[in-house]
Amino acid sequence: MSRRARLALFALAGGGLAAVLVIGFTGLPDFGAYHGVYGRIIDGIGVTLRHGTDLITLLNFDVRAFDTLGEEFILFASVLGIVLILRQLRGERQEPHKEEAEEHSFARASAALRTLALGLVPAIVAIGVYIVVHGQITPGGGFQGGVILAAAPLGAFLAGRYLSMKAIAPHLLIEWGDAIGAAGYALLGLSGLVFAGIFLRNYIPLGTPGHLLSGGQLDVASVFVGLEVSGAFLVAWTQFLDQAMLVRGGQQ
Amino acid sequence: MHIAALPVFIPLLAAAMLVAFRHWAPRVLNDAVATGVGAAVVVLCALLLAHTAHGRPFAYWMGGWRPSHSVAIGISLSIDPIGAGLATYMAVLVTAALIYSWRYFDAVDGLYHALMLVFLAAMAGFSLTGDLFNLAVFFELMGAVAYALTAYKIEEKGPIQGGINFAISNSVGAYAIFTGIALLYARTGALNMAQIGATLGHHHADPLVLVAMSLLFIGFLTKAAAVPVHFWLADAHAVAPAPVSVLFSGVMVELGIYAVARLYWTIFAGPLGPHVEELRAILIAFGTLTALWGAVMCFSQRHLKRLLAFSTISHVGMFVCGIGLLSAKGLAGVAVYVIGHGFTKAALFMLSGVLLHRFRTIDEFDLHGKGRELPWAVVLFAVGGLLLSAIPVATLFFGKSLLDGAALDGGYPWLPAIFVISSMFTGGAVLRVSGRLLGWGPSQPADERQAAAAREEEAEEEAPREYTPPLMLLVPAVLLLGAIVIGLIPGAVPGIEIAAGHFHDHTAYINWVLHGHVHFAPASTSHVEGFDYAYAGGATLGAIALAALGLFGRPLKRHLPHLLLQPVVVAVGGLRELHSGHIGDYIAWWTAGAAALGGASLIFLR
Repeated sequence: MSRRARLALFALAGGGLAAVLVIGFTGLPDFGAYHGVYGRIIDGIGVTLRHGTDLITLLNFDVRAFDTLGEEFILFASVLGIVLILRQLRGERQEPHKEEAEEHSFARASAALRTLALGLVPAIVAIGVYIVVHGQITPGGGFQGGVILAAAPLGAFLAGRYLSMKAIAPHLLIEWGDAIGAAGYALLGLSGLVFAGIFLRNYIPLGTPGHLLSGGQLDVASVFVGLEVSGAFLVAWTQFLDQAMLVRGGQQ
Repeated sequence: MHIAALPVFIPLLAAAMLVAFRHWAPRVLNDAVATGVGAAVVVLCALLLAHTAHGRPFAYWMGGWRPSHSVAIGISLSIDPIGAGLATYMAVLVTAALIYSWRYFDAVDGLYHALMLVFLAAMAGFSLTGDLFNLAVFFELMGAVAYALTAYKIEEKGPIQGGINFAISNSVGAYAIFTGIALLYARTGALNMAQIGATLGHHHADPLVLVAMSLLFIGFLTKAAAVPVHFWLADAHAVAPAPVSVLFSGVMVELGIYAVARLYWTIFAGPLGPHVEELRAILIAFGTLTALWGAVMCFSQRHLKRLLAFSTISHVGMFVCGIGLLSAKGLAGVAVYVIGHGFTKAALFMLSGVLLHRFRTIDEFDLHGKGRELPWAVVLFAVGGLLLSAIPVATLFFGKSLLDGAALDGGYPWLPAIFVISSMFTGGAVLRVSGRLLGWGPSQPADERQAAAAREEEAEEEAPREYTPPLMLLVPAVLLLGAIVIGLIPGAVPGIEIAAGHFHDHTAYINWVLHGHVHFAPASTSHVEGFDYAYAGGATLGAIALAALGLFGRPLKRHLPHLLLQPVVVAVGGLRELHSGHIGDYIAWWTAGAAALGGASLIFLR
């Protein structure tokens, strides 16, 4: 189709679809008018049955833990896809000159930026670990903490040291984090079948509500997801950055 | 059944392990693990099927979160014979594709196997789950894997573009699905399909419910590739590696159809009870358009995998019509037809992989006469063509006769004619290629425009080979045998009819999922009628005639009046022009499809 024909079709169809959506949305309950019983049930079971005070984590890693299995593997599969599609072809090579790779746009960054970026690395690690392991108590958990942890090596990158970033987070290690985190979550679900008779059923001691070791499988699941998420994001980022900085040439 | 979730967990675990050891594991270990897991999932799903087939469907509550006072708290796998049967069928095809891959790829590492296993797990979860959001999660998981597998051959442009078009189109479909889920959740506060169905009850459908239904249907029809939200399919199926195309056409597309059926009978059958007639008309309109569009596009292709892809679209049209009849018989017809079609189409994609592997091209005219080197491949190809034309008494024939019966019962006596056209064109196109492989008909096309795309595939393999591994012919041969005999197994087709009868029992589903009470209204079975043989025989003869026309008909053109020929040429050309490969075009058409379905629902179903 020509550009004009496409835009005309979209204008017509988009108007129609927008009208359909608006008509449908008018049936939504008013903001804040919640009539369901589901929320109240979840409210009631979080602390009493699972000794977890953060209900989102309770839903993610216990009540609807099976969804999380799927979601975790969506990330896992997407990263596999990135590795597959960005794989080195015959005729492509890694840039041999290390200096050139270091000379990216941040390399001429000011000393202040470098110091700050490097100084942030340990702080980011500490916050990431904190968020991962406190998911059952306060908002957070494996997904959020995992992303924060993955950001730590980026501090080295911001400081203009891409190859140092790769040294802090070597490829094999982050790929293992990705794979073992994913496998660990699946194993946690399977072990529910073995030790409690049902997939993903909690069999880990519940501890005292509000304490670090509480919530049963919430914390264990959180740690596996944190491992998977941080590994997955780092694999994805290094794949992209490798493409931009190290890989040269092509087939033919 | 303690094994209920193993078909999801085992492949996921194995996939993660394959990735962890991918730098060390030798090829043979990857093949062994992947194929072994595939076979194990076949066995597990078959056990679930055997358990549920005797009127014993069950809900398995993950994490032990059983419903409290009839309110679903956790996620259930709600397993009935249709879901378990679909999972079994899917696992058989995945295993066959994995066996075929042993010899198809020269260079492939553990990533391919891991992705195939995640794909397997996603499709198993999709077939078994009883939770609407969980269904969407597995839809997304299938997508994430499928986009990557489509773009597997990164050294070419086609696969990257096909992967991107596929990813964008299906992501737009996913937005529609999630919006639909949000609307239903806002109304019912529930995500379990039985719970949503119970909460909506038989209250008259208001605009919110109708819009939610339209969004969910158009989202899953995007995966199923119904016109006009189908454009991505030909781009993706034509460029993916052959064993992946097998799964796309054989299972993934059908899962979209399954979702529409599942959602209708669990959620919307109650509220839309008074408007069955109107909804039937809307769905059959979509289905008929898809069947005819796919048939014409299929016959006008010379790129073999694109030809097969459009053939799938045409058959999707039949599926949409079959589900759209909104009867147990139509559903049973689709279920039987899916099995026959999937095995046949899988075999045909594998055979085009054989041709590409050997001759470096899958352009119909480039392959002129080449089939004499591979007589068995041609024989199998022709058998596949005859099967697609629903020749009596293979599995497809039984499916089609159920569809014919359902169409007559539902008040659509002209629908069997559409099915015949679809069978004729899709079967005829494959038979025409078989003839061309033997060197029949002209070796040069009337116009040269299509050739480039088919030859771009060359890079997959370096040079033409002298040798085709027998395994690559054995796997499609076994699948074709399956497509012939499965329908003949005593009790198979009536069993599917009874399972479909139970599947479409809206109230019974809510009861067995939420309360554990299994009670179904008695389901009936039907017989093949005499006219079914006439239709099917006619379709097969028509397919052979069309193939002959495609091969030898060029001299006839001169004798046809210009006025008769020209409109056909212009119409087919126009249709082909619409498949531009431009993602902007595709999304514009997607929007039109969504607006049409939503608008029609709001106008006719209130």
